[in-house]
Amino acid sequence: MEEKDEGGHAEPLDLVRLCLDEVVVVRLRGNRELKGRLHAYDSHCNLVLGEVEETIYIVEEEEEDEQSHVRIVKKQSEMLFVRGDSVVLIAPAEGIQDLRS
Amino acid sequence: MSFFGFDTTLPRDHSHSARAPGFGQPADPFASLSGGAADDEIIDFEDTYDGLGDQLDDADDALNDDTFGGGPATQQTVGKDFDFAGQTSKIANTLQEEQMLFEARNLRKPPPVQASKPARTGYESYHDPDYIPQLEARADIWGLQPKQVPQQKQPEPQAPSAPAKKMMSLDEVEAMMRAQTASQTTAAPPVQPAPAQIPPSVPMRHQQQIQHHGAQDQFAPQILQAPHQQQPSFSQQQAHAELPAHPVQIQPPRQPAAMQRQRQTPDNAGQQPRYAAPLPSAQRPPSQPRQILQNPNRLSGQGLPVMPPPTGPRGALPVHSRGPSFPSMAITPDQLMQMPEEQRLAYLEEEARRAKRNHKIALLSKDNGLMTPQDKNFITRIQLQQLMAATGGLEEARSEAALAEDFYYHVFSQIRGAHRQTPQQPANQFAQTYLFQTNSRFGAGRRHGRGGDNHMQRMEQQVQRAVEAAKAKPKNKQLVIEGSLGKISFSNSKTPRPLLNIKRAETGDKHPKPHKSSIADRKEVLRNIEDVYRALMEIDDHERALPPPINEESSPEAIQNHMEWRTKFQALHDKLWEATKIMEPINLQSPTPHPFIAMLSHAKGKKLISRLFRHIDDQERVTVITMIVVHLDHLPVVNQAIATPEEPLSPAIREQVELFVHAVIPPYFTHIQTSPLNIVIGLLEIILQRTNLHLVARSKVGMEMLTILLSRAEILKQSAPEMDVTEWEKWTELYNRLFDTVEPVLPVLFPGTVNDTDDKYIWQFLAAIGVGASPEQQQRLVLGVKDRVMDTVTVSRALPPDMSAARLFNVNLFMRAIGLDVELLG
Amino acid sequence: MLFFSFFKTLVNHEITVELKNEICIRGTLKSVDQFLNIKLDNAETTDGARWPHLCSTRDMFIRGSVVRYVHLPAGMVDIDLLEDATRKEAAAAKEKAK
Repeated sequence: MEEKDEGGHAEPLDLVRLCLDEVVVVRLRGNRELKGRLHAYDSHCNLVLGEVEETIYIVEEEEEDEQSHVRIVKKQSEMLFVRGDSVVLIAPAEGIQDLRS
Repeated sequence: MSFFGFDTTLPRDHSHSARAPGFGQPADPFASLSGGAADDEIIDFEDTYDGLGDQLDDADDALNDDTFGGGPATQQTVGKDFDFAGQTSKIANTLQEEQMLFEARNLRKPPPVQASKPARTGYESYHDPDYIPQLEARADIWGLQPKQVPQQKQPEPQAPSAPAKKMMSLDEVEAMMRAQTASQTTAAPPVQPAPAQIPPSVPMRHQQQIQHHGAQDQFAPQILQAPHQQQPSFSQQQAHAELPAHPVQIQPPRQPAAMQRQRQTPDNAGQQPRYAAPLPSAQRPPSQPRQILQNPNRLSGQGLPVMPPPTGPRGALPVHSRGPSFPSMAITPDQLMQMPEEQRLAYLEEEARRAKRNHKIALLSKDNGLMTPQDKNFITRIQLQQLMAATGGLEEARSEAALAEDFYYHVFSQIRGAHRQTPQQPANQFAQTYLFQTNSRFGAGRRHGRGGDNHMQRMEQQVQRAVEAAKAKPKNKQLVIEGSLGKISFSNSKTPRPLLNIKRAETGDKHPKPHKSSIADRKEVLRNIEDVYRALMEIDDHERALPPPINEESSPEAIQNHMEWRTKFQALHDKLWEATKIMEPINLQSPTPHPFIAMLSHAKGKKLISRLFRHIDDQERVTVITMIVVHLDHLPVVNQAIATPEEPLSPAIREQVELFVHAVIPPYFTHIQTSPLNIVIGLLEIILQRTNLHLVARSKVGMEMLTILLSRAEILKQSAPEMDVTEWEKWTELYNRLFDTVEPVLPVLFPGTVNDTDDKYIWQFLAAIGVGASPEQQQRLVLGVKDRVMDTVTVSRALPPDMSAARLFNVNLFMRAIGLDVELLG
Repeated sequence: MLFFSFFKTLVNHEITVELKNEICIRGTLKSVDQFLNIKLDNAETTDGARWPHLCSTRDMFIRGSVVRYVHLPAGMVDIDLLEDATRKEAAAAKEKAK
């Protein structure tokens, strides 16, 4: 809409631009998830997030009962640069909450 | 692979490299050679030592001569071919003869009178407006060959660079060395002559030969003796603009050696071409024009030789000496004595004058020619650049594209970099845009938040000023109060207090939850915000492109530029205004909030306001403020921010409130500070009529906005009492309505317990409302908050002194506004 | 170039680099290049017991591609400016794509 008026067509990263200064959820390789305020991104999906909470899902397989359960580790960081090659997806946190509820 | 033949690879590396030579393991072509030792065996020296050292024959020094020059027999001659002084001393007589001859010739042919100033100053090119100097430091400063030799008037092949010297590979060197040992008689290989391979020895007998050839050689040594004479003078230096090392200078030292060698090995045809080139020029008899070129000064002054300047820089800086370095032999003292008296005096006078002038020139010009115009230009550019950087004007010099590439770093260093040299200098545009931005989220240790603190301080000052002003004019105040007493009762009876309360009480605290925006709506709002940011940044960029100010004398072009700039600015401004969507019709009943108000529910939307205010005019600011005030109780920071001691605000809401207070209130405050009474009245009326005052008054945001209005009105009242009476009547009426509406909620104004220290803004509000209150109202006010005052005073007694003082100070804001003091409470 | 520009402002400040193999290294950022390769001074692993062989390394060069996170000093980040710089970068990238 607006984007088209400006001469370009809407690109995937335009959606990320809308999330600037908003809380986003970022899924990373290696079963990691970040939630924080998006302060910067570029076309490689390098990011800077503020007030981040990192959630790591560690799958632990126990040999005795052949059951695997997920251990969750949470870490905090006040300001975090994320290298783009780990990023799987970026989504607005509110949108995700809306979807879940 | 090891130099000594040891296997240096560690056992663990072996297993890796054998199977997977990949990352970090370059293919080793010698791996098979060194793989003697098994991985886990202890390496024994005897096992690995190849015994090559034993095979060495110390006596066999077959190649020594080739490497270090000839045997002992020839060692005496080493370096003799560089002994120029020794050789020239042998032809000293010839030299002197030549000298005399030269001077005599000069006397016979008086040259044209020379200007004392150099023919060229080096700045000629700058008269040409299109001249673009070559921005290149002189390569020869670094000992490099200059890239080009423009306008070389006397192309003389340079000896060292003449032969195309090829870098030899190890194999070639080896082959050559073998060839040499095979045929010792061949002094040098016919191909690829390398300097090191040239037989260095010059047999003694050739020195005699040189003396025999003295007459023939005389020119070369002469040059040697006075090499600085060859230094290009001004005119010549210009001709050789970039020619650093004068060819003539390089040649002479090589001259004797070259000739000797040529004579010594006449059979060595392969070498001859190499030296053939320099010879003709060196042996060329000295020609008059060239001498003039080389040292015009020497020929100046009516053909009389110039005495060296008495304290000339010749000794220290022979290179730049302009005086003759030949001993002036033209007129010996003997000759002088033989001259007639008149002539001699004239000569001496002339001589003195010239010496003086030469001295002056030498002093002035001793460093002339040290830098080319290009060099100077280069330096000037650097200096200008530094100047611009120092004054913060660099962004004008940098292209907008380069700025965009490195925007963050550039602006960041401007804002947080070195302090401004002159505090008076206004902050540049970047600082205005970003430095005063507020961001409370990382308040600690940040510059951010200062804007907010600043605003709190200023607000406190305003309240205090209102209090002080009210105290300073007690009579006046009495008058006003007395004059309005009747009106107070009048408004008391007329104020539809119950109506207001009832009307809003139903919706009251259960204000309809703001429309839960769908994802699409949310996206739309975010897109609107980003559009405003884009418009803002376009305006920022355009502001940086502001052409220099124009005046009457400006060229039509400049005026045209300015007009275009202003037109564009206006267009961008309109675009920005449109992007805010503020002019869309207000519909308070609509489930979706007004697009402008919706923006304020996002953090970046709140931050927009102060930046927006920079670019819009007063009228538009009033529009923005009105829009916010109309929707005050629709703002999440108001209607979701009513805290009670039992139910404090959630961190998310608290954060939003803080951001609003730090981002939106300051521009609002700044604007109200300069607003006339009618604006204040209008805004208060809107709040009273169109919003739920109980919500507004119980939220931090609403209370601060009310405080700002009340204190502004009070200051206006004190500073200009003769104002329009009807306006004051209107104000008093509104004030009374406000007071009556707020009164019931006074006990619940404080959202936290007594221990909550974040209560300053409430005391400020109470002070602002108390200062304009009638005695009766003041009493009601005190009744409403009495408990809180007493509790706070009690609590603060148990606190450390500074904390206690801070809390009591806050309470006193209010107490003093109604003419009391916490001290009085005992 | 946004992040190159960004990291340049952090030179001489302490950062913590978390690599893709879980190693965390804290040190003073000495330099950075456009590939976001990083040179650290006074580097030390935050978990010296786990990576004893890194204890002796004081100055190190980290290839950008092995980095997962860089933990930054929040006080050294100008958020508003960074967001604007991001908008500029996005606009420029779009301009180029056209």
